[in-house]
Amino acid sequence: MTPELDGDAVADPNYDDEFDAIVVGAGLAGSAAALTMANRGLEVLLIERGSSPGAKNVFGGVCYTPTIRELTDFDGAPLERYVAERRFSMLSRNDETAVSISPGEWHEAPHNDSYTVLRGEFDEWFAEQAVEAGTTLVTSTTVTGLVRKNGRIVGVETDRPDGTIRAPYVVLAEGGNSLVSEGADLKATETRENVAVGVKEVLEFPGRDEVIEDRFRLTDDAGVSYHYFGEGAVGDAFGGGFIYTNDDTVSIGVAYRIEDAVAADQSPEATLNAFKSHPAVAPLVRDARTVEYSAKTIPEGGAESIPDLVHDGAAIVGDAAGLVLNNGVHLEGTNMAVESGYHAGNAIARAADQGRVGAKALQAYPDALERSFVVQNLERYAWMMDAVEADRDLLFEDLPRAFADAGTEYFRMDRTPKEAHAENAKRAVLDAVGGWTGAAKLALRYRKVVT
Amino acid sequence: MSWTIAVGVKQVPDDDEVGIDPDTGRLDRASAPAVMNPPDREALEAALTIRDQVGGEVIAVTMGPPNAKTVLEQAVAMGCDDAVLVTDRAFAGSDTWPTSLTLARTAEALEADVVVCGEETTDSSTGQVPPGIAAHNGWAQLTYVEGVDARPEEDRLAARRDVEGGHELVAAELPVVVAVAYGEFDPRPAGLHRKIYAENDFEPTQWTAEDLEIKEEVGLDVSPTSVGGMETVDPVDRKGEVVDETDDLAEVLTEVSA
Ligand SMILES: Cc1cc2nc3c(=O)[nH]c(=O)nc-3n(C[C@H](O)[C@H](O)[C@H](O)COP(=O)(O)OP(=O)(O)OC[C@H]3O[C@@H](n4cnc5c(N)ncnc54)[C@H](O)[C@@H]3O)c2cc1C
Repeated sequence: MTPELDGDAVADPNYDDEFDAIVVGAGLAGSAAALTMANRGLEVLLIERGSSPGAKNVFGGVCYTPTIRELTDFDGAPLERYVAERRFSMLSRNDETAVSISPGEWHEAPHNDSYTVLRGEFDEWFAEQAVEAGTTLVTSTTVTGLVRKNGRIVGVETDRPDGTIRAPYVVLAEGGNSLVSEGADLKATETRENVAVGVKEVLEFPGRDEVIEDRFRLTDDAGVSYHYFGEGAVGDAFGGGFIYTNDDTVSIGVAYRIEDAVAADQSPEATLNAFKSHPAVAPLVRDARTVEYSAKTIPEGGAESIPDLVHDGAAIVGDAAGLVLNNGVHLEGTNMAVESGYHAGNAIARAADQGRVGAKALQAYPDALERSFVVQNLERYAWMMDAVEADRDLLFEDLPRAFADAGTEYFRMDRTPKEAHAENAKRAVLDAVGGWTGAAKLALRYRKVVT
Repeated sequence: MSWTIAVGVKQVPDDDEVGIDPDTGRLDRASAPAVMNPPDREALEAALTIRDQVGGEVIAVTMGPPNAKTVLEQAVAMGCDDAVLVTDRAFAGSDTWPTSLTLARTAEALEADVVVCGEETTDSSTGQVPPGIAAHNGWAQLTYVEGVDARPEEDRLAARRDVEGGHELVAAELPVVVAVAYGEFDPRPAGLHRKIYAENDFEPTQWTAEDLEIKEEVGLDVSPTSVGGMETVDPVDRKGEVVDETDDLAEVLTEVSA
């Protein structure tokens, strides 16, 4: 007796209009959209260009999780450490002046919803949640364009043979380098002033157990998020540096305007290396070995640069829609990516239930986003980018130096009375900001950062 | 005219991820993720090329545990028409002899005209399985094949073979077993719809040792290979000497070669 083939293999599979929605990019925004739609019963195809979700993701490291925690069974999430301390530090060439905060509350779950993560693992886990909810994930596939019929977006083209596939809704979650959205004229290419370049290294410390705990004064799962500004961080460019602690590695990087990267004639690598060798930074990363190096763009146009979020048959979410808050004090994109994916997914599910397509049917997404923290935060800080740009020299060079000088003067140990030291310290700062009037103006200009 | 072309594919530990256990100095294969044996991707390309030339069906075959299904999905994504997973606890511990017997019986059951295999697997590198299949079935074999030329009107498959110092053109009567030289066929990318189908909706046919009527002829007990032992060899001490002048160097060297 000879065994036989089951014989039910399909000769010419075709999935056109088998899915309700196609999501381009399995980053945080894309997986959030896919998960939301799948939870609401939609058939979703999630297309990712990397060999696995997160495989191509560069990211400094703090993931803000208020929405993800609601959407998933968060206990299984691959988190590195929770953020127990945030430190803001001004660097001039050789000096550091820093402020550190570590509220007791951050040690308690849910840890202010701030965790360091490695995106390779985290994105894979998050996409897996979408798959478990019923999403179909296809990796190693790059979307190269959109398919239109009578102006309406009805599908996507990919780099694979037989690579066109149709579905009533397309979610563009392709991140900051949004070639598909731009190619299809859904958004304008960002101007150089509104794009930052981020470079990051993941460092390990071979053969040195506990080195992270010791250097950063940590116990258990606690971690830190250090932020650096000033010429010691990114030279004379507009931006900053960061250090985040992972479980047994450290992420270190710089993010600054592309425009400056060109103008200042320094490569991102050179900038990062200079930052790593700053006297206040070098001891933190001593004896480390680089295990990963990566570079990526960050949109930072703020509220004004948000493109039309919905089109006939499509919605744009996450970094592709410019939803990143990057103003020096905050660098938040992960929470906005998830929030926008969630609202877009909901809007599409509702439209699908009603059998409606078209931009109007999806209007619930921009409406919900407008009411959410995403747009509110971006609008709140919109003024800040301009102000900071205008005060660039003062904020990034003169002030860090003045504060360092003031500190040096104030604590000077010699045979002069302290009163003279204090006077010198005050003068160092006042000179930099333009006297009392200058200081008052500056305080007024930036009061919204803290109030 | 149309041929049935069977392709043997195997799941192996990902070479890029195989580490060395720092304690024992041995390769740590257990923790590496499983992937398709890279030469087998080229065997698939050769098989699909033959199908392009004569028409017919390409059927991927793997002998392995149930999770080896993923390599069959990849094969179907690339363009194979169907796939068979030959799986049975009875196969555990099989060396190349029962393995080639199993694949030979599978090829027979499929009424294959051509069986295409990769040159060797990256996890055992014996290269014995393709000739073994030919031997068990008494079929012709073409090894180290760099190019294929199907001649349906003659019932023959011609191939260019890599031989020392050049290549030769050989034609073999069907049925024939082909072992593809590694690095000669550029595997085609999977089509989008096929990839979605293969990964989500396709189920391979499953055959057991019993289905193939070879239950008593496979497994560890009938595998003639026995590993005598393994040894890590310490590097030999070499004499080292630093000289200051080039002339002195010549002197030292002559001394050694003399
Ligand atoms: C150096 C750096 C540090 C940062 N630090 C922080 C931080 O500390 N905290 C924070 O909250 N945010 C931070 N951000 C911002 C944050 O990373 C982003 O806001 C967030 O990742 C946006 O998610 P997303 O899903 O929109 O896009 P992405 O995470 O970029 O995901 C896009 C996905 O789409 C895929 N893709 C792209 N194009 C295609 C295509 N054509 N076809 C198929 N797939 C495609 C990509 O491979 C990727 O998986 C940082 C960014 C950088 C660069």
